Amino acid sequence: MPRWILYLLLVVTALTLIPIGLIYRSSRSAKDRPRVQVVYDMDQQSYYKPQSENPFFADGQSMRQHPAGTVARGRLQGDEAFWHGTAGADTVFVEAFPLELTRELVLRGRDRYAIHCAPCHGPAGNGDGLVHRRAQALAEGTWTPPTDLTTAAIAERPVGHVYNTIANGIRSMPAYGPQIEPLDRWAIAAWVRVLQTARNATIDDVPADVRATLE
Amino acid sequence: MAPDHDDLSRGPGHGATETDKFVFPKWTNRLREASAVLAVGGLLYAVVLVTGVFSPQNTAVGYAPEQPVPYSHALHAGKMGIDCRYCHNTVETTAKANIPPTATCLNCHATVRTQSELLEPVRRSAETGEPIKWVRVHDLPDYAYFNHAGHIQSGVACVSCHGRVDRMEVVEQVQPLTMGWCLECHRDPAPHIRPVEFVTDMEWRPEGDARELGARLMQEKGIAPSTDCTTCHR
Ligand code: HEC
Ligand code: HEC
Ligand code: HEC
Ligand code: HEC
Ligand code: HEC
Ligand code: HEC
Repeated sequence: MPRWILYLLLVVTALTLIPIGLIYRSSRSAKDRPRVQVVYDMDQQSYYKPQSENPFFADGQSMRQHPAGTVARGRLQGDEAFWHGTAGADTVFVEAFPLELTRELVLRGRDRYAIHCAPCHGPAGNGDGLVHRRAQALAEGTWTPPTDLTTAAIAERPVGHVYNTIANGIRSMPAYGPQIEPLDRWAIAAWVRVLQTARNATIDDVPADVRATLE
Repeated sequence: MAPDHDDLSRGPGHGATETDKFVFPKWTNRLREASAVLAVGGLLYAVVLVTGVFSPQNTAVGYAPEQPVPYSHALHAGKMGIDCRYCHNTVETTAKANIPPTATCLNCHATVRTQSELLEPVRRSAETGEPIKWVRVHDLPDYAYFNHAGHIQSGVACVSCHGRVDRMEVVEQVQPLTMGWCLECHRDPAPHIRPVEFVTDMEWRPEGDARELGARLMQEKGIAPSTDCTTCHR
C-alpha cells in the first residue's frame, strides 16, 4: 500500500477527534441558547402558566387579581384581632395574642423570622443582619438601620403593633404582608417576644434542671 | 505492509512488466475488508456524534440565559445569606416556586443602591407596574407534572436539583431534568432526604451516613416516591 494512504488515514482519524472534543467542551460550559427540542411534540402546550404573559388582558399578565368586592374562600377577614391586630380602631393594638400560643407556633416563628427578618434585624434581633452590614458599608446615606428589636421600647409595644409592623411596614421598613400569611405573622410576633425575653433574661429565668448545662 | 505487496505496487520502472499498470495491485484486495471496517466505524462515529450533540448533558445542562437585570444569587443568597424562601416564598406550599415581584426587590432597593444603573429596569418596572421579563431557565415539557411542595415537605433540598445556586452569578441549569434523572431519585431517594429545616441550606452535611439518615426519615414520615406513570403524566 502506498505510504500516503496510510498518512491520510491517520490524519482523517485525528480530525474525527475534533468534533468529539468540541461536543465535550460545549456540554461542560454554560450556554445561552434554550434547549434544542428534537421532537417538538407536546412540549409547549397552548395554555397559560403561572407568571406568564397573556396579551388578552390590559395588564398583559395571565394571573388575575381578585375582582373588587369579592372575598376568596376562607379569607373573610371577620376576626379583626386576628387579621389586623387591632381592637376597635386602626391605632388600638391588641395586647394579647388572638390565638393559642403553642410550641409549634413559636418554632414556626423562629423559622419564618430567620427567613424574612434576620437579613436585616439579625438572628438575635439586635439589628445587625448581614444585609444591613453590607448596606451600611456602602455608606450611601439612604439606608435606615433596622431597629434593635430587643430594647425595652420595642418590647413594651403591644403584640398587635408588631403584627401590624410585619403586615404593613413602618416608616422606612417595607410591608411584609404580601409575603407572609397572617398565621405566620403571629408566629413571628411570638418569636420576637422570645428574643426580647431572652435578651433581658437572668440566670433565675432558666429552669433549675437545665441551669447546670449553661455553667 | 508486507514487502511483497510493496514490490507489486511499485509499477513500471521497478522491474515490473508493462501490463502491471492495468492490473489492480494486490493490496487493493484488502479494500473490501477496509471499507467494511470504515462503514461500521463511521456508523459508530455518527452515533457517538448524534448522541453527544443531542444528549441532555449538551442540550439542557449549562443553560444560563442572560437576564434583564444582572441579579446575582451569589451576592444575595450567598454572601448576604438571604434564605431562598424570602423571594421564592411559595416553594413549600405550591407546585411553583414563584419568581419574586418587583416589590420584593424594592423592600431593600428603595433604600440601597438607589442610583445603580444595573437596577434601572427594576425602578422602571416599579414606576409603570409592568413586570420585569425574567427569562425562564428550568422548563419541563408541559406534558410532565412537577410539584415543588411535595419535594420540599419530604425534605429534598434545593441543592439536589438546582446545584450551588448560592455561588451562581447567573442561574444555570445543572441537572438534565430528564425522566431518567427523575426516576433515578424516585427509585432510591434515601441519600437525598434530610430534615425539612435544612432544605434551603446549601452547605448542610449530615453528621453520619446520608443514606442511613434518609432511610430513617423516610420510614418515620412514610415517604415513598411513586414511579407510576400517572404521578408525573397526568
Ligand atoms: C429590609 C430590611 C428589613 C427587614 C427584612 C425587616 N425589617 Fe423591621 N425594620 C427595618 C427598618 C429599617 C426599621 C426601622 C424603621 C424606621 O425607624 O424608619 C425596622 C423596624 C422594625 C420594628 C420596630 C418598629 C417600631 O415599633 O418602631 C419592628 C418591630 C420590626 N422592624 C420587625 C420586623 C419583623 C418582625 C420583620 C420580619 C418579618 C422585619 N422587621 C423585617 C428593616 C427591616
Ligand atoms: C433576593 C431574592 C432571591 C433570593 C434570596 C433567591 N432567589 Fe432565586 N431567583 C430570584 C430571581 C429574581 C430569579 C429570576 C432571575 C434569574 O433567573 O436569575 C431567580 C431565579 C432562580 C432560579 C431559576 C428559575 C428558572 O427560571 O428556572 C432558581 C433555580 C433559583 N432562583 C433558586 C434559588 C435558590 C435555591 C435560592 C436560595 C439559595 C434562591 N433562589 C434565592 C430571586 C431570589
Ligand atoms: C434583603 C435586601 C435585598 C433584596 C430583597 C434585594 N437586594 Fe439586591 N442588593 C442588596 C444589597 C445590600 C446590595 C448591595 C451589596 C453590595 O454591593 O455590597 C444589592 C445589590 C444588588 C445589585 C448590584 C447593584 C450594583 O450596582 O452593584 C443588583 C443588580 C441587585 N441587587 C438586584 C436585585 C434584584 C433584581 C432584587 C429582587 C429580585 C434584589 N436585588 C433584592 C439587598 C437586597
Ligand atoms: C426534586 C427536584 C427539585 C427541588 C428539590 C427543587 N426544585 Fe426548583 N425546579 C425543579 C424543576 C424540575 C423545575 C422546572 C419546573 C417546570 O418547568 O415546571 C424547577 C423550577 C424552579 C424555579 C422556576 C419557577 C418554577 O417554579 O417553575 C424556581 C425559582 C425554583 N425551582 C426554585 C427552587 C427552590 C428555591 C428550591 C428549594 C426550596 C427548589 N427549587 C427545589 C426541580 C426542583
Ligand atoms: C432528589 C430526589 C428526587 C428527584 C430528583 C425527583 N423527585 Fe419527585 N419526589 C421525590 C420524593 C422524596 C417525593 C415524595 C414522595 C412522598 O411524599 O411519598 C417525590 C414526589 C413526587 C411527586 C408527587 C408529589 C405530590 O405532591 O403528589 C411528583 C409528581 C414528582 N415527585 C415528580 C418529579 C419529577 C417530574 C421529577 C423530575 C423533574 C422529580 N420528581 C425528581 C424525590 C425526587
Ligand atoms: C418521576 C416522574 C415521571 C414518571 C414516574 C414517569 N415519567 Fe415519563 N417523563 C417525565 C419527564 C420529566 C419527562 C420529560 C423528559 C424530558 O424533557 O426529556 C418524561 C418524558 C416521557 C416521554 C417522552 C416523551 C417525548 O416525546 O420525549 C414518554 C414517552 C414518557 N415520559 C412515558 C412515561 C411512561 C410510560 C411512564 C410510566 C412507566 C412514565 N413516563 C413515568 C417524568 C416521569
